[in-house]
Amino acid sequence: MRRIFGMTEGDDSPLFVFPRWSNYALPVIALAVFGGLLYVPTLITLGASPRTTAVGYSPTQPVPYSHRLHVGKLGLDCRYCHFTVEKTAFASLPPTQVCMNCHTKIKPDSDKLAPVRESWLTGQPIEWVKIHNLANYVYFNHSAHVNHGVGCVSCHGRIDQMDQVAQQQPLSMGWCLDCHRNTAKNLRPLDEVTNLGWKPDPDVDPVQFGLQLQKSYGIHDVAYMTSCSTCHR
Amino acid sequence: MKHHVTNREYWRSLEELADGPEIRGQIEKEFPGYDPEEIVALSRRSFMRLMGASLAMAGVTLSGCRRWPEEKLAPYTVTPKGRLPGVTEQYASIMELGGVSRPLLVTSFDGRPIKIEGNPSHPFSWTVEGKIGSADAMAQASVLELYDPDRSREVVYRTIEEPRVTNWESFRQALDAQLMKLRGTGGAGLAILSETTTSPTTLRLKARLLEAMPGAKWYEYEALSNDNETAGARTAFGQPLRTQLHLDKTAVVVSFDADLLGTHPAHTRYAADWSSRRRSADEGQMIRLYMAESCLSITGTVADVRLASKPSRIGLLLAALAAKLGVSGVAAPALSKEEETFIAAAASDLQNSGKLGAVAVGAHLAPQLHHLGHAINEKLGAIGSTVSLFSVPGDDRPTHLESISAFVSDAQAGRINTLIVFGGNPVYDAPADLSIVKAIAAVPMSVRLGLYEDETSLRCTWHVPRSHYLESWGDGRAWDGTVSVQQPMIEPLYDGKSVNEILALLIGEKVIDGDSLVRQTFAAMLPGGTEFEEKYRTILHDGLQSDSAAEMVSPQLLPGAHFSFPDSAPGSFEVRYQQSLGCYDGRFANSGWLQEMPDPITKMTWDNPAYLSKKDADDLDVETGDMVTLTLPGGSMDLPVYVLPGQPIGVIGLVLGYGRTCSGNIGNEIGFNVYPLRTIGTFFAADGVTATKAHKSYSLAMTQNHYLIDALGFEEREERTGGKFESGKLIHETTLVDFKADTNLFHRNTDGSMSLKQLFNPPMQFNDPHAWGMAVDMNSCIGCNACVIACQAENNIPIVGKEQVMRNRQMHWIRIDRYFKGEPEDPNIEVVYQPLMCQHCENAPCEQVCPVAATVHDSEGLNTMVYNRCIGTRYCSNNCPYKVRRFNYLDWQSKDPRGWAKPWLNIPDTQQREMVDKIKRMVFNPDVTVRMRGVMEKCTYCVQRIHGVQIAKGNIDVADSQNNPAARKINDGDIITACQQACPTQAIVFGDLNDPAAKVTQLQKNNRAYPILSELNTRPRTWYLAKVRNPADESEQPA
Repeated sequence: MRRIFGMTEGDDSPLFVFPRWSNYALPVIALAVFGGLLYVPTLITLGASPRTTAVGYSPTQPVPYSHRLHVGKLGLDCRYCHFTVEKTAFASLPPTQVCMNCHTKIKPDSDKLAPVRESWLTGQPIEWVKIHNLANYVYFNHSAHVNHGVGCVSCHGRIDQMDQVAQQQPLSMGWCLDCHRNTAKNLRPLDEVTNLGWKPDPDVDPVQFGLQLQKSYGIHDVAYMTSCSTCHR
Repeated sequence: MKHHVTNREYWRSLEELADGPEIRGQIEKEFPGYDPEEIVALSRRSFMRLMGASLAMAGVTLSGCRRWPEEKLAPYTVTPKGRLPGVTEQYASIMELGGVSRPLLVTSFDGRPIKIEGNPSHPFSWTVEGKIGSADAMAQASVLELYDPDRSREVVYRTIEEPRVTNWESFRQALDAQLMKLRGTGGAGLAILSETTTSPTTLRLKARLLEAMPGAKWYEYEALSNDNETAGARTAFGQPLRTQLHLDKTAVVVSFDADLLGTHPAHTRYAADWSSRRRSADEGQMIRLYMAESCLSITGTVADVRLASKPSRIGLLLAALAAKLGVSGVAAPALSKEEETFIAAAASDLQNSGKLGAVAVGAHLAPQLHHLGHAINEKLGAIGSTVSLFSVPGDDRPTHLESISAFVSDAQAGRINTLIVFGGNPVYDAPADLSIVKAIAAVPMSVRLGLYEDETSLRCTWHVPRSHYLESWGDGRAWDGTVSVQQPMIEPLYDGKSVNEILALLIGEKVIDGDSLVRQTFAAMLPGGTEFEEKYRTILHDGLQSDSAAEMVSPQLLPGAHFSFPDSAPGSFEVRYQQSLGCYDGRFANSGWLQEMPDPITKMTWDNPAYLSKKDADDLDVETGDMVTLTLPGGSMDLPVYVLPGQPIGVIGLVLGYGRTCSGNIGNEIGFNVYPLRTIGTFFAADGVTATKAHKSYSLAMTQNHYLIDALGFEEREERTGGKFESGKLIHETTLVDFKADTNLFHRNTDGSMSLKQLFNPPMQFNDPHAWGMAVDMNSCIGCNACVIACQAENNIPIVGKEQVMRNRQMHWIRIDRYFKGEPEDPNIEVVYQPLMCQHCENAPCEQVCPVAATVHDSEGLNTMVYNRCIGTRYCSNNCPYKVRRFNYLDWQSKDPRGWAKPWLNIPDTQQREMVDKIKRMVFNPDVTVRMRGVMEKCTYCVQRIHGVQIAKGNIDVADSQNNPAARKINDGDIITACQQACPTQAIVFGDLNDPAAKVTQLQKNNRAYPILSELNTRPRTWYLAKVRNPADESEQPA
């Protein structure tokens, strides 16, 4: 006699009897559905959490260099130290020599500056901790941005108000694209790029002004700006 | 019966021609190397073990706290003047190979050289003067050698008991003690065994050494040598002269076994010149190349008229030509009908072209043949017109064979007590009948300066690490004698020293650093004072000293020459030794790039089988992969067979440079060492060879049947659409006569306005602001592989190893398809090369099937591959009609290409390793993502180069009054892809199709241009230019 799903062949009775194991099916299905419903929001929450995107990441640096003091109070331009920002992909960190330009005279004996003096004497670099870290398959280029009117503040925030630098923006692809899709809104005159506190002139129509800048900088249209190859190689 | 379209006329291999079940399987299965059964067959226990291990690993990684690991940034303490971190710099330099320097332009990123190109300012490397320089595959791959972790790092002192790692100090003490003794005897007993060089500094130091120690002896040896050419000139003119052909001015060239475009030291110049006279097909004029050869060489594959011949017949053929042209002192030998036709056609063409004709004789052929070649060129009036003769300093020396024989007899007679071996590898590659090992053993103190601790180092008492040419100062002369300086790009990684530095040590010079030694040499040649510094810096910058080429001479032929050539013994086989196009004489055996580079003609990787013609293979009843026993006068050996269409009947081709035992992890025990068969008498070819079937087989990794383009279904479609059996045709070719008669030949069957009906919305235009496209001229391509290695270096393409190549997993983004045409038994077969990379279809089939949109178009027409999106379904590769996508089955970059690491429970380690070897990592191009396991990749049209130029141009501030808006415009030629850069024949051209004046636009409008498989409505951006042959034809006299 052959049994098919609890029904006996040749049995006249139309009664269908579920096999025993089907008692377990319901809780398993329920668990799967519930788990699936839980999985998706968890994934999104974790993926977008500041812990993942590292907003607020602010490691302790070997030298307690204060941007608030040097930029905010003393008014140093960003490019005094990050001098390759207009020429290369990387906004290079200042060589020890740049620190020593002033600190041979100013606070030459400060304890906080001991690592700088040591680097100067030994020729060994100061090892700073990288804060703004992009994935290796992203080819962000500083020069392409600052030469086209994207301000430092757009990505780095008010560095001039930070004692210890912290990451301000998520630096996620969605965040990059927000700007790449609306370039006009995020542009400023070239001489205001390093001015972290710059505000557009309230008398000028910001949309018109942005479009005008976009045109004068020769910024490509959205199709180009959002092509994969623009950032990934 | 069903045919493949490629089967109609062109075929890649004998298997494809036969259309057997094996090749069917290869075509029908998209991923022949991939067997899902293998995974299913895993036992439950091993499965649980693997799963357990991966779970444990997952636990370890999850416990990390931050998304990114902490990274450190280390700025300079003082930035070097003019250095911009992250911006590449380029320096002119040279690489010396066999005494001829190859001019290079080395790209350095933050102090580490990452890419080697030809110097665009040097006549022996430029293809477009001042703009594009080409370097061959070996020169380009030398950057990998620099970062080879197997290079020797320590001074080793070797006694009978065991080797002992020691240091420079103890070596110097030992050497100084020995030199003290030698100085007392005027150097008697000191011997230098060097690889050949024309470096002015080395020659200067050599002269100083021999002056200081007159008793010292200097020997030179190279396994691949041009000595016979200089020897031939010596008998012809009484001077050791070199020859240079000017193929750009030549109408007819008849080559006798001279591989001008493939292995000649000046092949880059020759290929560029030759191609200029191929492209002129569009103006109705072409060079005609006759080739009589005893192998199938690169030059042979692109010759217009080719005659496959036994090595012993080459001399007779040359004599017959000479007799026909009326050269005195030579008798016309008896020829076969086929030979007669060839010689008659060549003779009449040469006679008609007069001083625009030229004869070339292979470097390996006997001096007598070179003498006769000169006599013919003299008779034609070609000397001074298409042929230049000149004498290069350093060439006036005993031949390599004389020199090495003298060394062995001197050493064995006990006349040498101190031996210094500079480079080379004589223990591996010296003639077998010289007992070189015994000779070195007879010397009490032998010092080896070498890049690797190789076969020769093991026989010497001292091994001293040599600095790589990218690490040390030096100089050298190009083929025409032009002087260049070799500039170091990086401090020696392993504390090596250069030949010049060791020589200075031997002489006892006070200054022994390479920089000063080279400067001293130039100080003697250049004016002094401030002018010197200026002039010297110009030489460094340009990469050559202008006007330093050797002076052309027009010598008189010595009278009374008489030539006679013995005929070969019929019946037996002849062996012809060939240079490996990757390993050279064996010195590059440890370069993974070169080992995995498919040979242009045989498409062999990682091996050197014996080449046999179809007829001989049938007679011996062997197929490709079967072993044969070869018995030569010098010994016998078992070798696998490769049945090569085009191989002369009765000739067995043996490739030198394989079977190394001490080359390093990559090259050890790869292929077969045929040097033990090669004796002084049979240095280039051997007669009286017997071959018998060995009843064994051997696995060969060749790529000729990989990624076959199947055109199944084209016939069916044509039946319905009423096509003309033209669709699916990959190759178009014609002859010059036919082309001139009808320049519209290639477009007769296709209506130019033809637009295929589209099921979906038509694709976008993809032309904003540029429309990138490419044109590949099959009429110029010589299959030399320069583009393959250029692409590999530029795009961080990994090697996979022999085992994985056999599974169709090689990663090269460009493959050069080599097609044969004709009967497989015919040794005078025709060959076509078709380089195939991603065609960047506007209507890309790959994009339509990707479930995650990991391959999409950008606004300028690039079919981009987004690695971080790819989930590895491989649908795209399945749907690509051109078969140009490559999948990372494993983490190739960190995997050992020679096998699996089995770190735990004997489970093969197929997981991604954390890091690539620190030294190997240094060669990576930082502008290109290093792909991980499980993602697809393919040609990107060098997107990093495109954006590099776009960003640089975009940064120009047009508001600045000094710049005009045009400064931002990207001009034709500003962006050069890596393959285009490396191509010696300019067969590859890249550019903006929006620009009507751009070269690529012009080429795509050329009458020879056509897209391949366009019937599929893929709308490829890469177009091909048809091949035009220029065979001998009575009705057509060459221009």
